[in-house]
Order: sequence, then structure tokens, then C-alpha cells
Amino acid sequence: MKLLPKDVWKFTVAVFASFAGLPSIQAQEILVLDSLPATNTASLENLLQGQVAGLQVKSWTGTAGSQSIINLRGLHLNTTDESTMPLFMVNGVPIIANPSAVTGINPLTYYSAEQIERVEIIKDIDQLAALGVQAPNGAINLIIKEGTSGPLHVHAHAAAGVDYVAGFDAEKDAFYNYHSASREAVYAKQSLIQRQHISVDGGGDYGSYLFGMNNYMASGAIKDAGFQRQNLFVNAKYKIAEPFSIQFYTNLALADRDGRYAGQYNRDLSGTEVADEGFFMDDNKNVGLLSSMDLVYRFSPNFHLRSVAGLSYETAGRDLYIPSNILDGEVLAGSEAFKRQMLSVHTSLNYTHQFSELLNLKVTVGNQVVNSDYRITAVEGMKGLESGGSDYVKVVTGYNANQAKAYSDSEREKLLSFYGTLNWDYKQKFFLNMVARADGSSLYQNKWAFYPALSLVYDLREDTDLPARFKVGYGKTGQRSGPEQYRGELVGLGDYYGGNKLGITQLYAPFTDAKSVDIYQFDAKVDVDIQSYLRMELGYFNKRYRDFTYMRFLPNIQGLDYAFETGAALQLHGLEMNVQGQWIRRKAFSWASNLNVAAYRNSVTELPADLQQTSLAHLSALTTGDRISSLVAYEGSQSRIIGNSQPELFGGLTNDLRVGKVALGFTLTYSFGADAVLESYESAYVAEQLQTGFPMATGETAFYFKNDLGKESFRYQGIERIESVDFVRLGRVGVAYHFGDDLQKWKIRDAALILTGENLWTFSSYSGLNPEENITGIRKADLGYTGTALPASIVLGMKLTF
Amino acid sequence: MNKIKPITWCALVALLPFIFSSCEDYLTIDEVENRTIATDYYDSPQKLEQAVIGIYVDMRRALLHNHAWLMYGEGRAGDLTLELDMMDDVAAQRLTNGTLPLRQLTDWGYFYDAIQDANHLLEKLGPAKGELLSSYQYNLYRGEALALKSMAYFYLTRIWGAVPSAEAADRGTLLNQQEVLTRCVQWAAEAKPLLPRLLLNDDGIVSTALTEVRFNKTAVSLLLAHEQLWLGKGQEAYDGLTAVFEGQGTNSLSNFGLSLGKDSNPDITQQPYSGNPIHITKEKLEAIYPVGDTRRSMFTIPATGTTASLIVAKQDLLMIYSTKEINLLMAEAAWLAGQLEAAKSYLTMAAAGATENYALLTAGTFADALLRERHRILMGSGQRFFDLIRFDKVGQFLPSYTEGDLAQGAAYWPLSAQSIQTNGLAQNEYWSN
Repeated sequence: MKLLPKDVWKFTVAVFASFAGLPSIQAQEILVLDSLPATNTASLENLLQGQVAGLQVKSWTGTAGSQSIINLRGLHLNTTDESTMPLFMVNGVPIIANPSAVTGINPLTYYSAEQIERVEIIKDIDQLAALGVQAPNGAINLIIKEGTSGPLHVHAHAAAGVDYVAGFDAEKDAFYNYHSASREAVYAKQSLIQRQHISVDGGGDYGSYLFGMNNYMASGAIKDAGFQRQNLFVNAKYKIAEPFSIQFYTNLALADRDGRYAGQYNRDLSGTEVADEGFFMDDNKNVGLLSSMDLVYRFSPNFHLRSVAGLSYETAGRDLYIPSNILDGEVLAGSEAFKRQMLSVHTSLNYTHQFSELLNLKVTVGNQVVNSDYRITAVEGMKGLESGGSDYVKVVTGYNANQAKAYSDSEREKLLSFYGTLNWDYKQKFFLNMVARADGSSLYQNKWAFYPALSLVYDLREDTDLPARFKVGYGKTGQRSGPEQYRGELVGLGDYYGGNKLGITQLYAPFTDAKSVDIYQFDAKVDVDIQSYLRMELGYFNKRYRDFTYMRFLPNIQGLDYAFETGAALQLHGLEMNVQGQWIRRKAFSWASNLNVAAYRNSVTELPADLQQTSLAHLSALTTGDRISSLVAYEGSQSRIIGNSQPELFGGLTNDLRVGKVALGFTLTYSFGADAVLESYESAYVAEQLQTGFPMATGETAFYFKNDLGKESFRYQGIERIESVDFVRLGRVGVAYHFGDDLQKWKIRDAALILTGENLWTFSSYSGLNPEENITGIRKADLGYTGTALPASIVLGMKLTF
Repeated sequence: MNKIKPITWCALVALLPFIFSSCEDYLTIDEVENRTIATDYYDSPQKLEQAVIGIYVDMRRALLHNHAWLMYGEGRAGDLTLELDMMDDVAAQRLTNGTLPLRQLTDWGYFYDAIQDANHLLEKLGPAKGELLSSYQYNLYRGEALALKSMAYFYLTRIWGAVPSAEAADRGTLLNQQEVLTRCVQWAAEAKPLLPRLLLNDDGIVSTALTEVRFNKTAVSLLLAHEQLWLGKGQEAYDGLTAVFEGQGTNSLSNFGLSLGKDSNPDITQQPYSGNPIHITKEKLEAIYPVGDTRRSMFTIPATGTTASLIVAKQDLLMIYSTKEINLLMAEAAWLAGQLEAAKSYLTMAAAGATENYALLTAGTFADALLRERHRILMGSGQRFFDLIRFDKVGQFLPSYTEGDLAQGAAYWPLSAQSIQTNGLAQNEYWSN
């Protein structure tokens, strides 16, 4: 191990262990993370950027603590819908991973990279079907480090550095309608990043333990804003008796983000000055907890029972106060709290049977229960200073406050599942995987859905000289349809008879045929060991989505404005390629590379009849074969496709070089084929139907968006230009010096000095600040759905192991 | 591991459906906190009453938006005016000129909302009988739902003529006016025995205020008779009215109107009588109410100027059926039933304050006198244009319409684009030209 010391710096080493590394047939890719963080942000998903073919991690914003957009073969009618996100698990326990709408703090910041042993990426249908409706867009399983056997070990890591927004030019600022002086006041030239980690571990015959804590602080791109997170964790494994073992894992995190008004709460920076924000408050606080208990009982070497119970819990609270100097004589105060919990229990019986030396069978039957409960409460009030409001007392009482709003809602959901898998292994060259899962959901009247899958693997290495293996799989899974779509809702109409009798009626009727979206997936894959130092994997997948739920607007003799129905079909297919080379592997010098490429194409394969009368009317410019990610705008009176919001070729290249005690690594990420539509700051009109057509501004495109404001009024938004957002980015780069044995005399087993840089260089023709900044592919004039400037960062750290 | 016998496998497989079915209960979330969902909401009399009130509110929307009740009636007839942009268009019969208020007036959506509400309530009431509701509550709610549905269809056919059914059995089928009225009569007749003369409040005490804003026996009887008279069934109307009203003291009678209140739809006029007085030209006033007619006191007549304004005594109510209409409908029913003397007697009672002597009317002159008195007595109620249709007098009072126009359906309102969208309906022949 001296040749490849355990603590050698690198971003990640991608080990595609599905061929030789795992005894059973596993389609997943496994990223083994080094014990050093590869990202200067607190967001774990950024570790995966550019590492896995087909996994997009889009750095759309520079606001610290935000989540990047994560997509792993995910698609929906709305390509930016949250339901395209993959399932995240920690040690197989599903977790709440998407940010709450209240604080927007990323739950994947609750863990530090030092806690993660490896990351399993699950894309193939034979594994996804076993996860059912939880994982229509793949799954990412974070495997947590356990204590290592032997005496007590102490790991410590401290790092500090700066975030900075690279010099901006006037052209780009004007393009954003920002005033340069205001922008300079909001986007800090530098802000501090610091992180600390300490953990203690050990183990023996009794089991193992690992516990520790982390601290992270950063401002991101926005001056006077800030994000910080602290977490405590413990991972303990105990052998109760020979056949019976138990593992506890708990991670408790506090995350806090302070916002600011100018440039964040309000994106408008067109004025010359930024108001004093001394009294402004935008305080976002999250508490995140994951606790799990894993029991294993071995009846025999071939037969064991496993039960994993997990609780993923988060509270997100936001307190907002905007003083009068900002709101022109009025003050606004608001408070929101969002509590989310997900309780899961997963029990499985696992049995391995050897029929002969040639034929083996592994059987798993299991049951999973997932209960989630989300609750939100929010109040907000505004008050004029002349009515007694005060900048000094951050309270707006209901009396005399105008526009006081209160909101409360809750959502519960239950998922009960039964599944079984059969993994046949014949002569270690033919592998047959059979999966079946029944998902029962409280969302639907027809509760049960059935998800089967089958895959076949043929390893040619056993019969031929060809070092290749083929795999094909086909199966079905499902994508959840939201509760607003199935249970019907009543609505309050108004008061009657002295104002004390509220009339209600149906807003829409219950949708008894509600169901999950059906996804039929085909996978085909071949991997070849071209040379001992070069491995290539080439795969094709085809996902067909059927039966989305959408609204159909009813004729006005129905008495209901709309009803839900299912229909429409989409397709996502693509090629994925991974090339991994271990070019040189010597003591003094080593060089490894990983290149991954994904070429995707999504398309509409079926749209509902009479589309204009549905909530999918905005897709009317599309026909079969067009991309669902098409950007559509009007030209004259016709709507037409003017671009595409999703990349069609993307991936990453990672290189890892080591020379003696020095290690150098970098990851390039790239994306091609996506466009951004840039709304004009000049040509925007609110008017009734313009009789003479859209009045185009000089130098802009002939295209425009039209939004119905109700009451026959429309907003016409001109489009200044359409640009390609192709880019190549030096996502991460790092240099490390390892002291090796030099510090042994101080009882330091290993030490390393590490310098990491992130987002240091981006090559793109895009005229904005960040080619990934537009969530929807549209950079809106008010910068809605557009990220803040993405900072570059440089951090210097020291890691010690005692 | 011991081998499992085939019979054990069979038993396990047979057990599966039972396991899955018991899971159904676990997977059913009965109550969703803080949210009114359509499933399992109606579990108390109060909640069912909310649904009843919902029908009233949707009826109120149908008649209040853009002062619709007046536009469909005296506004279109040219008698009363309001300070509204669309007023001139309505009075000049320019009903398809495309402005937003007119397009809204030609949209029948709110009436069908009320019908859907009524049908929804009727569906929910079935299982509630005897479990949640007392027989009084059950009868009242069911009677109100039926009466309000009948009233909604009655308005629809008087405004648009042939209209589609919104009933589950034949939803979307276009019904001619005769068919609509026949159904209206059936529903009103079914409601009539269910509704009390006077309603009880939550404490079980008779409440005249509550009776006045909810369907009661007086109102449903008048509605039924009114509908029967549109069908030309004078004898049935007369028999029904006589059975209900003959010998009744005034204490058992009640007006019926829609209580005005807050509406979650900001487009709905909440106080139609305040801030925008309803005017009549003095010239028109003189023509309708001759000097000496005491009903002139219904108006504020300034010494100067060319207009007078209608006095609305109860500004918190949109009157639908006032007790004043009892004698008018009795008179009309008696006349159609061939009992002219009784008809004249009822008309004379109804027309207290008139300068004319209706004892001298003949079978030939009775209709004009009745129409005239309905005009005078019901001024502001929105009935005028409907009366002109029923008495076949549209051409006489609105000479801009030829016989041919009326044969093509000019007396009815055009349909909005929304109303003929995706349902196979066509625009009224007159208005499609």
C-alpha cells in the first residue's frame, strides 16, 4: 500500500466494480471517495460532478448552501420538475434530499465528504425496479464510513480559503441590467471559506465505532450573506451475539443561511445605490437528522434476515424582516416553518443456494414501509410606518397590518411495498436477474402497481479470449404523481346570510384513475478490458414514459373548471460511455484518467388529443419526435420551437497524477447542445391582445413569450437573443503534498497539505455569467429561476491522521 | 433449510390476496389535516350545509356579476340603466360586440356551477339520511338543492332558450325550452313538499330572517307556478298556488332573495345597490307609472334632471320572489285556467295603487294588463325581458327586432366562445349572423 498510500490526494477514483469486484451481478457504478473533500462547497452532489456518465450536476447558482440541479436519466413533462431528481439513500435508507421551498438549504450539505466511504450509482432497470416508485430516475446510495479495526484513530482536517466572483466586465453587467456599482456592493470580491473535520474511530471483535463532527462556513458569491453548517455523527456496529449484529447511524446537522435583500431577495440591481440593510433580516435555519438502525440475523451462512429502520427529519424555518428604508415607508415581517419527516422500515430475507458447482441462486424477498409527513405554517404581514410600524421592533401584529397572510398545510403519504429478486449464476458466465415489486401507495384509489424486470448477463471471458461482457435488461418502474392530482378539492366560495355561513363547492372532482407514470426501460451494455490498463464501457438505454397526469379544462356546462386525466408519452434514450485508464502505475509516478460521455435525446412520442384544452397547451407547438425540452415562443401569431434547454452531450474528464509525494488532479466538465433564451429588458408590454402584433424592438429576435394575466390581459415579453450554452469548465483542480513518514516522530501517521480550486475557468461563448445559470433554459428579465453569480474558490487545507 | 411442501406454498399464495387487501386500509389516509378535500369531507350537518350555501353563492355569482340580473331583464328591455360601460350596448341589443363584460354576460358558467353544486349535494345527501341529518335537515337541504337546480335551469332557458343538460344521465345533450321547463317543473314539484314555510335557525327557533334568504315553501311554490305558466299549464299552476296560499296568513309567507355577502371571487359585485344607483328616465317613468299611481314611490324623482332612481329598500338582498308576486302569479294562473273573475280579483289585489280599474278587463285585454302590472310591480327584479318573451311581446316593445329575427332566436342571448367550446354546441342562429 506504500505504492498507493491510502491518503493520497485525488478527487475521486472511479472503480467500476461490477465485473470483478462484486460477486453478484451489480449494474451500479461505485465511486470510492478518498477521505479528502473534492469540492469547496458544502454540497455533496458536487463531488459527483463529471464523474458518472449520465449524471448531470448543474451548478446553477452561487448562493452558498444551495443544491445543484441533479439529474440521472430523469425526465418529466416539465423537464425542471423536482420529480426528475434521483432517489438519495444513506446506507440504503431513503432520505429527504430535495431542498425545502422555505429556506432552499440543500439537505445534501448535512454530510461532509469525509463521512462518505463510497457512492453507489444505480441506473439499470434490474435494480431500479426493486426500488419501485421511489427511484424512477435512478438512485444514489451514499455508503457511510465505518470504524476500522484496531486501536483508536483520530482524523483531523482543517481548511480555509476564499470564494470570489471573477472580474466582471461591463458588457455582462449591462446585459443583466445591473448597475456596476450596485453589483460591486452585493457581490463580494472575496469571502472566506473554512471547514473543519474531526473524527475518531476504532474497532475490534465486538464491532466498530466512528464518531465526529464537522463545521463549514462560507458566504458564496453574495457579500454579507452567509452559510454555515455543523454536524455531529456516530456510526456504531455491535455484534450482539455471533449470528446477530446491529448498526446505529446518526447524523444531526444544523444549517444556517443569512440572506440579503439586494441582489438576492430582490434581484433588481438597476439602481446606483444599495440601501442600508442594517435592519434587514432573512434568517434561514434548518435542522436535519438522519438516524438509522440496521439489524442482521444470520440463521446460517446462506440465510440471513435484515431489517433497517430509518428516520430522515428536517425542520426548515425562515424569519424575514424588511425595514422601511427598503420598502419605501413600510415594513414587512414574515415567518415560515416547514417540517418534513420520512420514516422507513425495510426488512428482507436473503437466501443463497448452491444447486451445484455450476449453478447458484440468490433469493431476496422483502418488504418496505415508507411514511412521510410534511407540514408547513407561514405568516406574513406588512405595515406602514404611519400606522405604527417600526424599524426597531421586528413584529407586525395582525391589528392594523394590511396584507396579513397566514398559511398552513400538511401532507402525509404512505408507501407499502413487497418485492422479490432472484439472481441466477450459471458457471460464473451467465447471470439472470429477475425482479418483481408491488408498490402500494396512499396516493391513489387504485393502490397497487407492479414493477417487474429481467436482465441477462453473458461474460465472454469464460468461453473466449474476448475480455468483454454483455448485459441486457428490460423492466418497468413508476414515477409518482403528486397528491394535488388525485383526491379532489373543495373550495370556499364566500359568505352568506350575515357573513357567517361559508359556501363551499368542488374545485375539481377526485381523480379515481390516478396512478404513477409508467416507465418502461431497456438497457444494453458492453464492457471491454481493452488492455490491462484500459477499460471501456459502452451502454445504451431507452426509457419510455407513459400516462402522465394533467388537467383537462372542461366545457362550462360541467360546473367544474377542470378534471385530471392521464396520457401523453415521452422517450429518453441515449448512449453512455466510460473509459478508464490507468496509464502509469509506478511508485514514483502514476497517472490515471476517467472520461465519461453521455449523448441523450428526449422526445415527445404522444400528446393528448385536443391539447389546447389541457394544462399541456404550452406544448402545442410540439409534434411527435420533438424534444420535450424544447424552448417554445411566439413568432407572429404562431408558436414555434426556438431552442432546447437540455444538453445532448455532456460528461467529464478526470485526471489524477502523482509524482512522489505530490499529487495533482483535475476534473473538466462539459456540456453541449443546450440553449438559453434571453428575455429582453426593453421590449415587455402588458396589454390586451395587441391588434398589430408584437412590436419588436430593434436588434432583438422576432420571438416573444405571451403570458395570460387573466381578465383578457396579456404580458408580452420580447426575446433579445438565443444563445448556445455549450461549455467546458475546469470544475475542480487540486494539488496535494503528502508528508508520508516524515511526521511519525510526532505520532502523526499521515499528513497532507492540500490546495484545491473550484470553477477556476469556464470556456463558453455564452454572454452571461454562468452557462448553467438558467434553470428553465430561459434567462428571465426579472432573473427569476436564474442563479446568482457562481464564484470561483481556492482553499488551502491540512489533513492529519493520528 | 428444509424443503417446503407444495401445499404450504399454495397456502402462502392463497394468503397473499388477504395480505394485500388488509394493506388497503393501511394505505388509506382518511383525514388530511388543514385541507378540504372532496373525499370524506361531509361528515357533519354543518359541512353539508356549507354545500347548500355553496349553491346559493354560485347562484348569486350568476346573477350579480356585471349586474347580470338587471342586464338580462330591465337593462336589455331598455327600462333601467346603470353607470356601466356596457349599458349602452346592452340596451341597444349589441350583445356580441366583444367587450369583456358582455362576453362574461354571455357565459353561462355560473349557472352550471350552481347546478353542479346542487347535484353534488344531492349525491352527498343520499348516504347522510338518518345518519348525520335530522329529517328536517335532510328535507330542507334536499328541497333547497332541487329548488335551486330548478331555478338555475329556469334562468338558463329564459336567457338562452335551448340549453344543454348537466345531468349525469345525458350530460351535454341539448334540450329545447319545453324539455328544460318540464325538468324544472319536476324538480320544483319534488322540492315543494320538502321545504318548510318558515325555516329554523341553529337553535331550532323559527327565523324569518333565515327564511327570507333560503328557499322556503312560498318561494318554491312561486317558482313552480312560474315554470308551469311558462309551459302554459295554467290549471296546474292555479291548483298548486291555491293549495299553498289560499287562507294563509301573512305570517306564514316569506320573500325569498339571495343574501349579499363577501365572495372569494373579486370579480363579483358584493354591494350592487351601493355607489351605483339604478336609473330610469323620467320619460320612461311617466309612461310606465302614470301620475296618481302610488308605485311611483318606488323611485326617487328629483325635481330637476331627466332621470329618477330606483329605491331598493333591502340593500342586503337580491330579491328573487317577493310575496308581491303571489297575487300576480295567481292572477295569471287563474286567467290561463279560464277563471277570469278570479284572475281579475287577484290582479286587482296585486295592483294596489294603480290608477286603472281592472274589474273591467276582458279575456282579450287581461294579458296586456297583467304584463303591465308585472312590469310595474317587479321593476328592478330582472323579470321584464323574460316576461316579454313569455307574453310574446318582444317585437312590440323592441321594434328593432323583426319577426324573422325573433324566429331565429334574437330574444335570447348569444353564447360566449367559452360556452360553445369543446361541447359541440353552435351559436344561436340570430347571433351567428
